[in-house]
Amino acid sequence: MTTKLVVKTITIVICLFAMSCKHSDEHKYHTVIDKIEAESLNYDAVTVSSETFNETINTVKVSEDGYEFLIPERKSQIASYNCTECHTQPIEKLKQDQVGEKAAHWNIKIEHAGLETMNCATCHTSNNMDELHSLTNSPIDFNLSYKLCSQCHQQEFKDWKGGAHGKQLGGWAPPRLSNTCVNCHNPHKPAFEKRWPVRFNTTVEQERK
Amino acid sequence: MSETNKKWYSLNLNQSKKSDSCGCGNNEGSCSEEKPKDGFDQIMDVSMSRRSAFKKITAGLVIGAGAVSTACSVVSGDESKEKSGIEWDEYFKGNYKLMTDEDKNKTVDRLTRSYELRTGKNLSMSSKDAEEDVLFGYAFNISKCQGYMDCVNACVEENNQDRSTEMQYIRIHEMEDGKGFNFEESDDNYYHEVPAENHFYMGTQCFHCDNPPCVEVCPVQATWKEKDGIVVIDYDWCIGCRYCMAACPYDGRRFNWKTPEVPEQEVNKKQHYLGNRLRKKGVMEKCTFCIQRTREGQNPACVEACPTGSRTFGNLLDPKSNIRWILENKKVFRLKEDLGTEPKFWYYMD
Amino acid sequence: MKTLKVFGSLVKDAFLEVTHGSKSYHIWMAVLSFIMLFGMYNYSIQLEEGLSATGMTDRVSWGLYISNFTFLVGVAAAAVMLVLPAYVLKNIDFKQAVLIGEGLAVSALLMCLAFVVADMGGPARLWHMIPIIGVFNFPNSMLAWDVIVLNGYLFINITIPLYILIMRYQGKTPNPKIYIPGVFISVFWAVGIHMVTAFLYQGLQARPFWNNALLGPRFLASAFAAGPALIIIVLAIIRKFTAFKVPDNTIKKISMIVTVAAQINLIMLISELFKEFYAPTHHSISAVYLFFGIGDKTALLPWIWTSISLNVFATVALTFHKVRSNLKLLYVLCGMLFVAIWIEKGFGLIVPGFIPGPWGKIAEYTPSLVEISVTLGIWAMGAFIFTVLAKTGIAIELGQLVYKKKK
Repeated sequence: MTTKLVVKTITIVICLFAMSCKHSDEHKYHTVIDKIEAESLNYDAVTVSSETFNETINTVKVSEDGYEFLIPERKSQIASYNCTECHTQPIEKLKQDQVGEKAAHWNIKIEHAGLETMNCATCHTSNNMDELHSLTNSPIDFNLSYKLCSQCHQQEFKDWKGGAHGKQLGGWAPPRLSNTCVNCHNPHKPAFEKRWPVRFNTTVEQERK
Repeated sequence: MSETNKKWYSLNLNQSKKSDSCGCGNNEGSCSEEKPKDGFDQIMDVSMSRRSAFKKITAGLVIGAGAVSTACSVVSGDESKEKSGIEWDEYFKGNYKLMTDEDKNKTVDRLTRSYELRTGKNLSMSSKDAEEDVLFGYAFNISKCQGYMDCVNACVEENNQDRSTEMQYIRIHEMEDGKGFNFEESDDNYYHEVPAENHFYMGTQCFHCDNPPCVEVCPVQATWKEKDGIVVIDYDWCIGCRYCMAACPYDGRRFNWKTPEVPEQEVNKKQHYLGNRLRKKGVMEKCTFCIQRTREGQNPACVEACPTGSRTFGNLLDPKSNIRWILENKKVFRLKEDLGTEPKFWYYMD
Repeated sequence: MKTLKVFGSLVKDAFLEVTHGSKSYHIWMAVLSFIMLFGMYNYSIQLEEGLSATGMTDRVSWGLYISNFTFLVGVAAAAVMLVLPAYVLKNIDFKQAVLIGEGLAVSALLMCLAFVVADMGGPARLWHMIPIIGVFNFPNSMLAWDVIVLNGYLFINITIPLYILIMRYQGKTPNPKIYIPGVFISVFWAVGIHMVTAFLYQGLQARPFWNNALLGPRFLASAFAAGPALIIIVLAIIRKFTAFKVPDNTIKKISMIVTVAAQINLIMLISELFKEFYAPTHHSISAVYLFFGIGDKTALLPWIWTSISLNVFATVALTFHKVRSNLKLLYVLCGMLFVAIWIEKGFGLIVPGFIPGPWGKIAEYTPSLVEISVTLGIWAMGAFIFTVLAKTGIAIELGQLVYKKKK
């Protein structure tokens, strides 16, 4: 009689514990990486799109090494493009006129590598101000200026193509629209500037006193 | 941004933190050492007639006995009747997780209507469900973060967090080079020009664990993991026991110790039931990956606000997404991986 | 129908009994009522303002309430452990102690529930926990387990003494076949509530200070020291103020239990200290904070060292048979032990669990006046309930309260 009771109780207890074990679908993967790998096999598409969030941005398509995505169009964002509207003469000529009067773009000070490595003409094409050029003098469109940067910054270029470098705009959903180099970095002074943080939490400070 | 009425923005830009005698960031030096009054002092300091004291004690007795006075009061006027009707229905509604779509719509309607009755303003509240083939994940580049804290402000504004207690979901930890990830010695409330020499910055928030300990411990299932991996809270179902807060190894959860205050003109009116809708006192809240934005395909506010591109958000199930490329090509790691919580928040370096 | 009538008459008689008494009894009850009212008033402040009226913060999110809750679960559990020898081993000595013990368990449990309610951010929404109309996260949440075991335990501890008392009230002998199974269940249940409450903390991988296998056993050991210590003190008071006879021998036997439990508790304390300080790891910071403080953050130091010195002193003194046999000394030592364990298992356990926070940050905790007043109010409520229960129980046991059939 008592043994029966004991056996019954033990069975109930074991059942309870069995219930509390994680057998649900939620836990069929050991790690989240396993889950991602298994569940993305049948990935189809999502119904949402980030297009609505980027309506105001003109875009240019980038197609590099199998990666295809959009970047913001650049030329329309430069205040006085075409450059040739002012700069009708090559850079060499402009230099000679500098004596006595203020040079064009006098406020631009190049802080990008050293002056022995780079100057204006490293990127800007002397006889066609509306274009940039590579190290080997092949022309580069202003809209595709990343081609210029990627000549030296190979690692960043690789990360950017993949998506580890450069901010994605609008939404996570496709189509992908990523900032290009010059959207974040001033090409003449590419390092981020020091500034003050925009917030200081006084409550936390009080709590920890 | 109106800087005058924001307590957390009242800073002296010319003064470094070290020279600040009290370190509370108040530029006038007016931060007295006086302890903030607790509720007891506040109420006991007020001279009170015997009658009102009696009233309070009676109220204490009534409430202490567990009586709930919601819609019992006799009211006149259609609006106040409607208001109390809404309050009544809201009090007795069920757990959101178990609601039918119809019930979900009803409670959303009640909440928007109630806000309209209170303020005369309209808000749009969504109850959109998780999308198929979506599992959200987050990556944070510790080489890129400069410690500006733009993300923190964006988060506070987007998610209607309490301004009076300066609640913030995100913390940015300033770490010294050469010391590893030493959180004990890091500073998450710095105020000086950033990035500081020989320091790097690391942001933490809710990591939306795939095996979340906070969800396990909740006695009433007021918090759960959605199908797209977002760990959410039903603010109206939470009883405020704070067990989840004790269970979270990442300081991801926040509690409303008092009624949250958000100035009406700053309220973000694009809301989601499980996301940034206005909370009440005594409930938990946390980062929801900006569910009101991300369910629509948009990026969370912190990602959008980051000027350095340190923050990446995306769909882990989409093999072509940025986040997948990071996981597969960068040297990623997560915090406190030994705890088995499986966070969906990865860190990486350039 | 008849039982209902008897019960109604018992309630009526009990009401008469508890409203009549000596002058000191009335003063005692008046003081308790006043403290309770004061506590309720403060609770109304807390309800109005939210938990910001307490000293708790995002960093230390459980404080005085949960500390007292944890401690009182131990008291409730230990009180009933005296039941076993009394009813089953036919050890007559304990019998009077048992009735007191169960009364203590009931009032401790009610205090536990009151502390939990006081700690809730939304007490009005507590119905969400009621099975069927609410949602209960069983079996995943240890808090859900705790709610079940505490309420079950409360039910058992109300029904058994009620059955015995009603029988006595009618002048009948309680039938052992009815109450002995209940007694068995309640004893196992007592261990259960304690282990479950320990698991509540022990199961959190986020808090290394709690996440240690010794927590449950140590809860039990300290409970078996503090609970019976309280019973000894209560018995001493009852012996002095009522006609209820408690032989010296009963008290001495209980003091045996206290001593052994206190010794085991001390051994476990040493084991814990050894682990934390012989090879300190990252996870020992909480213990460092508790015992030595970190920098200028030293709020718990006076408390924990008071606790440890009282604990060690009382345990060592109790070990000597001669000291223990001196009843006056015994009462003092029991009082010391009780206070020591209240500190150690109360905020000595809860607060350091939150310090340092998950990212190594330290914010100290000091309870606010509101919090302290509510806590005092709940303790007064416990004492009030216990006095009412004990007075009725004693009156029935002494045969002063007897059911009169209607003529």
